[in-house]
Parts: sequence; structure tokens; C-alpha cells
Amino acid sequence: MTDTGELTFRRVHTAEPELLFDCMTQPQHLTQFWGPTGTTTPLDGIVVDLRPGGAFETTMVNERDGSSYTMRATYVEVERPHRLVWIEPESRGGMKTTVTFHPLGDGRTEVVTHQTNVPAAFRAAEAQAGFQTSLDRFAVYIERSTP
Amino acid sequence: MDKVGDVPIDELSLVFAALADPTRRAILERLARGDATVNQLAEPFAMSQQAVSKHIKVLEKARLVQRTRAAQARPCVLDTVRLDAAAGWIAEHRRVWAERYDRLDEHLARLGAKGEKQT
Repeated sequence: MTDTGELTFRRVHTAEPELLFDCMTQPQHLTQFWGPTGTTTPLDGIVVDLRPGGAFETTMVNERDGSSYTMRATYVEVERPHRLVWIEPESRGGMKTTVTFHPLGDGRTEVVTHQTNVPAAFRAAEAQAGFQTSLDRFAVYIERSTP
Repeated sequence: MDKVGDVPIDELSLVFAALADPTRRAILERLARGDATVNQLAEPFAMSQQAVSKHIKVLEKARLVQRTRAAQARPCVLDTVRLDAAAGWIAEHRRVWAERYDRLDEHLARLGAKGEKQT
């Protein structure tokens, strides 16, 4: 947490860092939870080449209409069970995702997902104090202007 | 996934880049209160009309602002479709991660049940 405006998600899971790291990096685990609600992530659509420079791809299939979306990323850092970094060069302006695993010492682990360049300027935009306020104002404006 | 509402993700990058600048956000806020000409927009800023025009060009390119062709003064008009999409993208993005970790918890619970506490 150096920059204030980066997107950060924190979650405490009841598991050791090793297992959580494996869940985030092994296809047989990823297929169980990766895709957004309403999609599946079939095992044969997951590519994990777990080394810096290796590919990380997941194809998520929409349950309703069968359409699919493939996230293509490249691993930058692979440090089991502490740290995992990948970059999505194609989409969203090279979004970088850093996942760190912090054992709490009681069998639980805090997983911190940190994203930068989300798309390029989003984090800067979010960092600005006025941004949310502005969006709120626009929301009011939109409500007013839509019939 | 490659669209938010009707707005492609690539276009959203332009929107976020445009929103990253405080002057441009101020211009948008001003326009949210009503259409304005470049002159009117330049007024509250210690900035040349030319500099304001540059910012407006960025906002136009991101399609956050439209300029009517008809009137001689060509007032700037806020185009809310993309702002709405940008706000939606943020919300959706957070939701995707939250739900992903919800499912991870469920997956962990199943693993735990299967192994009956392997210790």
C-alpha cells in the first residue's frame, strides 16, 4: 500500500498460505471458483505456466449463452506461498495484479489483491478525493436527466 | 466482459484517463450543472482558453463531452453514457473480486470437508 489510489481487496480465508497459493495457481482449483458468477471456467480453458514470463490464461464461459471471454496474462513474479504477480498486457491497458498471502498465525491467511494500472489512469482517478463525490453528483444528474 | 453497458472496455480506458485530471473533472462538474461555452468554462480557472480547449478535446475524445455543431458558440454538453459506464466498471470490478473470493471460500470449505481435517 504505497499509492493511496490503487485498487486493493483484502480477504481473510481459513486456510494456510500454501493452499491458497495453490488455489490461485492450479487449474483444478481455479476451475472451481475463478469465473464471475454466471460463468464457468472449464479446466481445458485454463493455462498456467507458473514461472516469471509464463502464461496465465483463463477462459470464462457464460452459462446462459455459451459466449466466452479469455483473460490473457503473463506471470511476473511467482514466489510460493508469499507472492504472485501477473500482468494482463492486452486488456485494460496492462493491468497489473499482485496477490500477497499473509499468514495470521491461527490457520487463517489474509489475501491482499492489489491492482494497478486499472486501466492506465483509473487508479489516479480514484486516488483523487473528489472523484467519488463527482461520480455521485453525476449519478444524481443522470437520474434527473433520464425520463 | 469486454463491454460495460454498451461501452467497450478500450473506450473506458480513455474515459479513466480523461477523469484522472482534476481540471477535467472540474470541467465535467461544471457541465453537470448545465451546458457551457469554452469561454464560460475557462472563467473559473486560472488558465488560458487555449489550455481549457485542450482539456475539452481530451474529454471529447473520451466522449464525455459533446459539442453541438449548430450554435455559433458551440456549447459543451456533458455526455453521461460513458461516465455511467465508468462508475459501473468500478462497481463491477469490485464485485467480480468479492464474488471470486466468496467462491474460493466455498471451495476451501469443500476441500476441508473432503479431507476431514487432514491436519
